[in-house]
Order: sequence, then structure tokens, then C-alpha cells
Amino acid sequence: MVRPFPGGGRGDWPEAWLVEHFVSPIILYIACGLGALGVLTALPKPKFSPFVIGAIIGGAAFGLLMVALGLKAGKDNLPNFHFYIFSALALGSALRVITHPRPIYSALYFILTILASAGLYLILSAEFMTFALVIVYAGAILITYLFVIMLATEGPSEAAVEQLTEFDRQAREPVMATFAGFLLLAGLTSILMTGTRSLTVNASEVANGRELSVMGAKVERILREARVERSDSSGVIIKDTVLRDGESLAKMTVNGEERWAVDVDKGVITVVNAAGTKREIPRDQWPADLKLSNTEGVGMTLIEKHPLSIEIAGVILLMAMLGAVVLARKKVEMDERAKLDAAAREHSLERAGDMLGLQGPFAQPGVGGDR
Amino acid sequence: VNTLMNFSTLAQGPMGALGGGAMSTITLYHYLVVACIMFVIGLIGFLTRRNLIIMFLCTELMFQAAGIALIAFSRFHMNHHGETFVIFVLTVAAAEAALALALVVLLFRRKETLDASAWTEMKG
Repeated sequence: MVRPFPGGGRGDWPEAWLVEHFVSPIILYIACGLGALGVLTALPKPKFSPFVIGAIIGGAAFGLLMVALGLKAGKDNLPNFHFYIFSALALGSALRVITHPRPIYSALYFILTILASAGLYLILSAEFMTFALVIVYAGAILITYLFVIMLATEGPSEAAVEQLTEFDRQAREPVMATFAGFLLLAGLTSILMTGTRSLTVNASEVANGRELSVMGAKVERILREARVERSDSSGVIIKDTVLRDGESLAKMTVNGEERWAVDVDKGVITVVNAAGTKREIPRDQWPADLKLSNTEGVGMTLIEKHPLSIEIAGVILLMAMLGAVVLARKKVEMDERAKLDAAAREHSLERAGDMLGLQGPFAQPGVGGDR
Repeated sequence: VNTLMNFSTLAQGPMGALGGGAMSTITLYHYLVVACIMFVIGLIGFLTRRNLIIMFLCTELMFQAAGIALIAFSRFHMNHHGETFVIFVLTVAAAEAALALALVVLLFRRKETLDASAWTEMKG
């Protein structure tokens, strides 16, 4: 949509025309080129790889891009302050992951990237995934990486380990790779800037609570705990629980499935008492904490909408475990003679343990004997 | 000219605690751009670094970028499908880490080096 230059539009953001058609793509491409320069400067090179200078250039590019985005978004739609902190932290440490010549520091900086991304998740109010990310990724996967890095360190002596290896000191084809990468980034971000503008928010927070209709126990508990003022039969105002004594949730049928009568779209909860009389609770009487928490939402979506995927994920994990065990197993080559020797050694250890009257681990044959 | 989509504001949960307050808004594009940059950094790292372990770390970086984009879309559409898919991203990442690291250990035992170019004869 081309809007005429100034005044033709609503006039509340007069430089918008300029920004929309001219400034923003150029800023975008300048930022991409600057970022490429920064990454190129920071990548490990044999003589001199100034990470600090590269990081400053890259940070300037990121700042420029954020300014362009902010101009496009308008001053009312800026993300909150923490977004900038977390994303700068995540991207800066991601840059350090690929530029640090020592693998162990790369892994540590990757943990920092994970923690910063967890912060971004938290801003997006995905609490469950935040904790899952920190526990699974930073806690488990990265520790595995650290183990393997330590296991696979080469060099016969400590001095040799301290020295950087040649392949860690020199990047492979840095210019071509950076160019290709940032060409991709320019393409991706320019499509983002222009192509998806017709996307609209197609769901509201109301739809977010639809799963409440299968969580009868939770809804009943909340309704029983919350209190509301009402006049009783003689006109006296009393405080009563929303769900009165003897009442329970009614059922309703949605798409042929029987569910609890919590109709979030219409904003009505239907309850039924022991005598079978129905009563409707309108939305303005709903307690404030009658909503789906993030963890519940993820769980419901996972179980309700993607049950097969969970099974497949389980199979993938099992296969990966078997594969890892099979791959990493160390074959011990033994000929007949060596087997006899090992057996004799175990036997003598056992007898030695018997003679000394050892208890505990030393009484076990073979422990410590065959290293 | 509201060219960037606004997430509906949410005053609940940690956003209030993070100082955003009730009126903080979130735009989708900011998150997508951050995810794109992180993906590209991972890609460049995968192409340029020669250490096998760092190459796999860079694939994890790309997984992470996909995760940020998924969570942002999940928030944008106000449902939990994106977050659910991040669980599967985590699963695949864990499986990949287990297998890839087993392979790295195996390759290291063969040639006593983590240099990817030590295996150039596998070009075929």
C-alpha cells in the first residue's frame, strides 16, 4: 500500500512514508553489511582476530537494525527494555561461540546464549518452556558437550594441551561463509519487513481458555474458593461462594464430545444443583484466577493435539540412546592368551581378597585389577 | 501506520515482574529478526569452524533460533502449539547431541584429532 507523502495519511507519524519506502530497506542492508564485517573481523584468523572490534561493529549493526525496526513499528509498539538486553546478550554470546578459539569457552558462551534466550521466552510469557530450556539445554545437553570436549582433548602433555591447535586458530573460508550467511539474513529480514504485513492477530485471550472445559475439577475448585456478594431469598446481601453448596458443573456437548459446561466463547459457566436445576454464571462473576496457566496450556495442547508426536519423540530418544551406546562402545580386542591372563588375574585377586578378609568393594573380583 | 503487529498486552505472569507493566507491548518482527540473526550466526559458525564439536554446537545454535521463532509465533497467535513444538525441538536436539557426540568420540579415537578436514577422504 503506497501512501502519499506527507499529510495524505493520518498524519500522526509523518515520516512514515519516507521510512516505509526508502529508509528502512537501506538501513536493513547497511546493517547486514556491517554485521558481516563484524563477524568477519571477529572470526579466528592465524595472526590477529580482534573479537572486541568485531563485536563493536556487530553491535552497531544490531543497534541500527533495531532502530530501523523501531522506526517501522512506531513509538507505541516498541518491545520492552528487557528484550534489548536479552537479545543483545544472546547474539553477543552466540558470536563468541563461533569465534572463540577454545572449544570449552565456546560451550560456556553457548550456555550464556541459552540463558539469554530463556529470558526472551520469559518475556513472551512462555514460563514452562523457559524452565525446560534451562534444565534440559543448559543443564543436560551442554554438560554432555563439556564432557566430550574434555574427553577429546588432544596432546600428550599439559603444555601441548595449553597450545591452541591449528584448526581452532584458523577459520575455513570465512569470507565466503560470512557473505553467504548475511545474504541469507538480508533476504530473510527484507521479506519480514514487507511480506507478512497482512498477518493479523487471529485469536484472543478468550480462545486461550477453551481447554478449561475439560478441566472440571480445577474450575470447580476455583469456583468454590472464590466469594461473591449476592442477595439471598429474603433480600439480605450475603457473601457466598460462586459455586454454592450442592452445586456442580453441568455438562455440554461440543462437536459431539461431552465436556464440562465452561463456555469461554459465550462467557457462561452452567452449574446444576442436586435437584437438577441449572444456573448460569456470567463472565463478570468469574474469579480472576479462572484461567489457564502456561504449563497447563502446553500440557493440554501436547496431550490433546499432538499425542502421536509424543510417541514419536519417545521412539526418537530411544533410538538415539541405543545408537549412542552402540557407537561409543569401545571394543576390547583380546586373543585367547589375554583372556586367560585376565581370568587368572581376577582369580588371584579374589583369593587375595579372601585371605585378607576384605569386605566391600575390594572383595569384588576384578575391581581395579584390569586397568 | 501500524505496520508491525502488536501482541495483545498481557499483564499476567512474569511480564509484570520484569518491569514491563500492564502496557508493555511486544512486536513479532523484533523476535523474528533476533531469531534470524541467531540462525545466521550458527550457519556461519558451521561453515567456518573446523572443530567437529564446535560445528555441532553451531547446529544447536540454529535449533535455538528456531525455538525463539516458534515461541514468538506461539505468543502471537495466542495458542500453545508453538511452545509444544519447542518441546520436540528440545527432543531432537537431545537426540542429535547424543548421537553426534558419540560419533565425535568415535572419530576422535580413529585419528586423534577433532579437525573436520582430517576426514576429507570421505568426499568419495
